[in-house]
Amino acid sequence: MDQSAVLTKNPNVAYRIYDGEATVVMPDRSEVKVVNAIGSVVWDKIDGKRTVGQIVESALEAVLRDYEVTPDELRRDILTFLGDLREHGMVS
Amino acid sequence: MPPCAPFHTQNDLDRRGGSGYISPDLEAICIDWVGANLGVRDHVMSPGLEISPARVGGEFLPDEGYFASPGEAFGPRSVTLSIGPIVIGLAGLSTRQAEGLDSRYHPFVVREAGAPDVRVSLRRAGVDRFLQFRGGPGGETYRLESRLSGPRLTLWSYEFAGFIEASARRADLALTSDEGPLFDRGLENFLRVLTSSFILERGGFLLHASGIVRGGKAYVFFGPSGSGKTTVTDLSPDDVVLSDDLTLVIRSGGGYQAAGIPFGLAHHRVPETRASFPVASFNRLVQSTDVRREPLPGARAVAELAGSLPFVMQETAQSALAVDVVARALEQVPAWRLYFRKDGDFWNVVEER
Repeated sequence: MDQSAVLTKNPNVAYRIYDGEATVVMPDRSEVKVVNAIGSVVWDKIDGKRTVGQIVESALEAVLRDYEVTPDELRRDILTFLGDLREHGMVS
Repeated sequence: MPPCAPFHTQNDLDRRGGSGYISPDLEAICIDWVGANLGVRDHVMSPGLEISPARVGGEFLPDEGYFASPGEAFGPRSVTLSIGPIVIGLAGLSTRQAEGLDSRYHPFVVREAGAPDVRVSLRRAGVDRFLQFRGGPGGETYRLESRLSGPRLTLWSYEFAGFIEASARRADLALTSDEGPLFDRGLENFLRVLTSSFILERGGFLLHASGIVRGGKAYVFFGPSGSGKTTVTDLSPDDVVLSDDLTLVIRSGGGYQAAGIPFGLAHHRVPETRASFPVASFNRLVQSTDVRREPLPGARAVAELAGSLPFVMQETAQSALAVDVVARALEQVPAWRLYFRKDGDFWNVVEER
């Protein structure tokens, strides 16, 4: 994934966060999804301004505070997750 | 500071097929399973879109001009229905239609209800169809198309076209048939959508669920088609069944009540009562060999319930409201994932405190 790409949430998506997890409704795909607590940290950083690199570093800082994981492993996971979000049409 | 947890097992999500941050089990929650009764596949939701009234492939697309033209009512009669907190006036009926609805919706028909919350004016469509059944080897999911334009939600399917303007408390409904299955289906499908929209504005929701009253409390069982909603009603012969398909959840005072709706099409029975009962629990049905339940927490409960709301999830603003409404209800009413088999034992679990 291009680290300089700016990611934007799908404007047709409605979402709310409950107990740290996000409920995401995608009307145009007739789907409802749940993003778990760590995924929601990343989701929250996607604001249409941050680049992929900035999202990763920003989320990294927040997640590393609370979870036992190496930075390199987390970077890989977050990039995979961002790819998943794109694949599911949740971001572009 | 939350306890450190193994990163990859956080929230019990595995990593099959992706990062694992998106719940794999919920990816299957689609609202197109409502298609058994009223599908939402192929919906069109284009705010402000201008569509000319033209036949395309044998289909008639009703635009604003279609509804602006004076339509011919079926007759001078009217019937008033009380659906939970919503009073719906149906006008423009023929005597035969009014008598038929009086009989079919008997528990929900009211004589002295004051001004209705919404007045639905019925008219002859003037065309033989709006959408054309495409057929094919596997048939097709019942198609319902919609268009949001300002305050007006326009809907059309094979046998009906109509619009709803909640703010103006009015709706128009054009039907291709004046009696028989096409009349019944068009009317009931339109009223289902109308009810789900209006109840949402009042902090409640219409849920794809069965509702059963036991000991004065309503237990709501939800899940996609085939999950067992009708089965649990069959396994509860001594209880009051509010619905085996669509249950109305009403916000009332500080709590929530459940009620049935009479728009069950031909294959669902009309509830025996229009009374409402306090909701004891929401139960997501899962067929199993054993009987147990587990709490359905936070965002998952919201997602499971929101995924079971017909008609109101295909437009972003309305779906956001729906999620908020569901979340508020879950602050008051517990939600469970209920594993059950085809016997009455599930009641032992459901009634546990």
